[in-house]
Amino acid sequence: MASAIRDGEPTTAEERANNLYQKGSEAPQGTIFFQRDLHNMQVAESLADLLNLIGILVGQHLFKPMTFENEPCWEVRSRDEADKLRRLTPDERLLYHHIEQVGSEGVWSKALRNRTNVTQQVMNKCLKNLESKELVQSVMSVKFPNRKMYLLKHLIPSEDIAGGPWQSDGEFDAPLIEIVTSLIHQYVEKETSVHVPGDWNDWVAHDRAAAIAKKRTQVQVSDIEDTPLPSYRPPRSRSHFVPRADPRYPTIQSIRKFIVDSNIIRERKVRDEDIEQLLDVMVLEGRLEKMKGKSYRTPPGTKNTDSFNGFVDAPCGTCPVFDQCMDEGPISARTCVYFGEWLGTESDVIHRVVSF
Amino acid sequence: MSYSQRESPILGTLCERLVQDQYGELAARVFSIFARYGRQTLAALTRASYLNGRQIKHGLVVLIQQHLIFHSSADPRATSYEVDWAQAYALVRYGKISVLVENRMGKEAANVVSNLLSLGHTRVADLKEAYFPSHKASAANGEANGLANGAVAGPKANGVKLNGTTPKTNGAVEIPSELDDAKLAVATLTNGDAPTENGTANGTPEMNGNKKRPISEATKSNGIESKEAKTSQEAQMVDGANEIKSVDDLERVLERLIDRGWVVQVDETHYLSPGDAHILAREQVMDESYQGSLPSGTKAKEMMNQQILERKREIRDDALKKPHFVASKRAAPDNSPPQANKRTKLNNGETAIAIPGMVPAQPTSQSQDRIVLRVNLEKVAVAMRTDALVRLVEQRLGHVTAECYKIMLYHLERHIPRCWDELEGEIVPFNADLTDPRFRTTSQNVAKKLDRKIDVFEGLDPATVVKEVGRNSKVDSKNRVHPPLHPHKISLDIKAKIVDKHINMLAEDPLRFVTWVSRNGVNEWTVQFDEISKAFVQAEIEKTIEARKGPLGVKLVRALKKKGKLDERQTSIAMMMSATEIRGVVNDLAVQGYVQTQEIPKVDRREAKLTMIYTWYDIQRAREKLLHDTYKGMVRILQRLEFESKQRETLLRKAERSDVVGNETKWLSKFELEKLKEWRDIEEKLLLQLEREDEVVAVVRDFVRPMLSI
Repeated sequence: MASAIRDGEPTTAEERANNLYQKGSEAPQGTIFFQRDLHNMQVAESLADLLNLIGILVGQHLFKPMTFENEPCWEVRSRDEADKLRRLTPDERLLYHHIEQVGSEGVWSKALRNRTNVTQQVMNKCLKNLESKELVQSVMSVKFPNRKMYLLKHLIPSEDIAGGPWQSDGEFDAPLIEIVTSLIHQYVEKETSVHVPGDWNDWVAHDRAAAIAKKRTQVQVSDIEDTPLPSYRPPRSRSHFVPRADPRYPTIQSIRKFIVDSNIIRERKVRDEDIEQLLDVMVLEGRLEKMKGKSYRTPPGTKNTDSFNGFVDAPCGTCPVFDQCMDEGPISARTCVYFGEWLGTESDVIHRVVSF
Repeated sequence: MSYSQRESPILGTLCERLVQDQYGELAARVFSIFARYGRQTLAALTRASYLNGRQIKHGLVVLIQQHLIFHSSADPRATSYEVDWAQAYALVRYGKISVLVENRMGKEAANVVSNLLSLGHTRVADLKEAYFPSHKASAANGEANGLANGAVAGPKANGVKLNGTTPKTNGAVEIPSELDDAKLAVATLTNGDAPTENGTANGTPEMNGNKKRPISEATKSNGIESKEAKTSQEAQMVDGANEIKSVDDLERVLERLIDRGWVVQVDETHYLSPGDAHILAREQVMDESYQGSLPSGTKAKEMMNQQILERKREIRDDALKKPHFVASKRAAPDNSPPQANKRTKLNNGETAIAIPGMVPAQPTSQSQDRIVLRVNLEKVAVAMRTDALVRLVEQRLGHVTAECYKIMLYHLERHIPRCWDELEGEIVPFNADLTDPRFRTTSQNVAKKLDRKIDVFEGLDPATVVKEVGRNSKVDSKNRVHPPLHPHKISLDIKAKIVDKHINMLAEDPLRFVTWVSRNGVNEWTVQFDEISKAFVQAEIEKTIEARKGPLGVKLVRALKKKGKLDERQTSIAMMMSATEIRGVVNDLAVQGYVQTQEIPKVDRREAKLTMIYTWYDIQRAREKLLHDTYKGMVRILQRLEFESKQRETLLRKAERSDVVGNETKWLSKFELEKLKEWRDIEEKLLLQLEREDEVVAVVRDFVRPMLSI
């Protein structure tokens, strides 16, 4: 022991332990120390002394004992945390220890009880205490909505239990999703298509009058059956989107960059997977189209919402009693009110005696 | 069992109604027995019906002439009859078919096709006779009325056909011998029991005359033909420009129709149901390769199945082989004066009817006259697919791109005999044809054929246009081109370049409307129909669901299609919505049969809490459900039409009187005229809707093979 006494160096084990803790906490937070790392700090006088010091620190909860590939190792805890820990009951400490181990993944209360073998009452009490001491937090799992997951207070719940940036309190944040998707839609539209005014290439204007006059003479002279029908041309007054000549189809990465740069989501980190999830849903909604690979564009053309197909545009297609409709009987084509509405005619009234 | 022969009761009802509208009540009664009881012999048919034997035979002859019934005499004791569902359903398309032909090959061809449709199968000579009646012949038949000629046409055609190709089933090919008496009876029947039957089956002898044509009358009163068909028929009657002026014209039109596969030669195998065709092929294969006995062992059996399929394909392709048919104009040197042509026509007309084979002036023409023709329905589906694709492109990418696409598809269509091959052993995608130059087209080709009135610049990015054409033009910040470029004042080369841009848009689309094949100096493109058609089916289902359940339903179906079988939570994650919002839609769609659900109890009790509920989407099931629903919708439309016409019975009867037709304003009161107009509007609306429902059926049923269920 004498060899360790040098000029002005702390001599008591307490002080040396303190010294070791200081050196350890100088390293970046979360660093894991193995025995040789601590030994290299040259605080302990011998291996036995080092183990002694570590024992003291662990006892004070300033060091957190762990193992890595069957080798013991330690992590530094803050003094505040250690302080709180010291005031815990052994049961609470045991639970805390288990909760700490799972990290941000969280642990289900039932699993926790299985691991620790404490009674339900004790556990409830302890967890309540831990929560009131602001050491752990409970989060409702997204994956299993009826499971309460516990994790340390300072940790951010992982994706698995809290969902991505699009979820809050286990529910999808519909307004946020709406805002972000409409932003993405605008962005992609801008990148992949051009907005063209109806009269973008106004070539008819100068000879229109002549053409009309010419047509008029034609119409007067001959029968309408003989004049060839002019080929149909859609009205040109409407402005519309056309695919760009040089499209830069946005990818997940570029869209993420756009979203991050636009700074609408501040609190949460947005990963590529989160964006992909959102884009997938937009594809399902028909607001985007997937091109080759992982790039996207907005679907061209205007969606016709008045007319769908021959079947559903007829009254039968959307009839609520379609499956009950028979050839004869109270629900049939002749008594159908929907047909009556559609055609503007009277349907047969049921129970009326029809006589012809 | 053949896919097209799996009938459902609702299709039976629909077809029965169509038959009734087209060929009268007797034919419909007989048809309905087959629809309800399936394959029947004549004796069984008589037992199942309360019609007497004579009536049944008359009905059967009509049905057979129109190819609505298959028959087979494989069993020497009795001929069996069976409904040809594809043909029976196709009755609803008859109006559409002539429109399709008109768009592709002009009004003359449409005229010929619509006549072929109403006549059933027809011998070339009889068709000629129908267009250019030789008065001698009708006098010889002892009938002043031209109708009689047509009446003889059917059976006569049969007779000629019989001595032709196949000695094996001689006598029972076209119309089984047991119906011989009925055949004659129908032939001589004038206006007795079933006037509608006669009207249509007998055909239309004086197409070009002033007499009102029976087809259009029949269709009008029956209300089966669509509005478009009516207008086109009326157009045919009115104007003289597109009528067929000479036999040469007719032959030319027929040659083109045959060449493009719209019209095929009638073959005895066309009368065999898929089941009978299978038996035939099986027997042939067994006799040839296995000495008439079944091979043992799974491998050998598998081998035989392949051979049978192969044989069935051969039989079918043989039957569809284009007959050697050349218009006489081509055969004869074209420096012959018009008078000579006229004389030829007369010769043909006479010899074909009166003394066959006596005048060997034109031997090819002689044998040609004996060819019996019918319209090829498989080709109709191909054409409908083309039209549907063009509509889709128009909606997505605009009118001009759609026009370009239309030209490409018309070009490819000529060499496509059918949408999908039922007899294909394993599923071979369309890619097999990539090597075939007939299935390719180029932008030059499109540019050449594009209607000159079309503004090819429309639908493109102004920047592209200016880059390709604009010498001095610039695009401003609002994407306007200054000074404007005139789309009609460009060279063909530049036009081709512009068209290429349109085609590129088609190729870029996630639906892959066209596929690039090779660069033999120019870009060559083809179309892979299989994939697009599948997407088409899905789109049609989605449209239906959207109309019923809104965008949420579509989103659900797409999510399920993408991810497979999901439980409630997974569904809500896939759609990024709360489970409660989705639950109602899942339930409704499951009830409607578009989405499937499955309960898996976790414990042996069936408690809702302890049960996993899975939801999934099976496109084939949804497809068949939609098909079934659409059939039902069509039946309801026809029923409503009948009801509405019953409501106005007195008025309509008056309006259809021969002295009133054409003089409505003279004989009908103002009130009646109003009511008549109202009826016409209702009729038009219902028939138009019927036609649109048929388009749904085409998409869902005809364009692509049945898809594998999960």
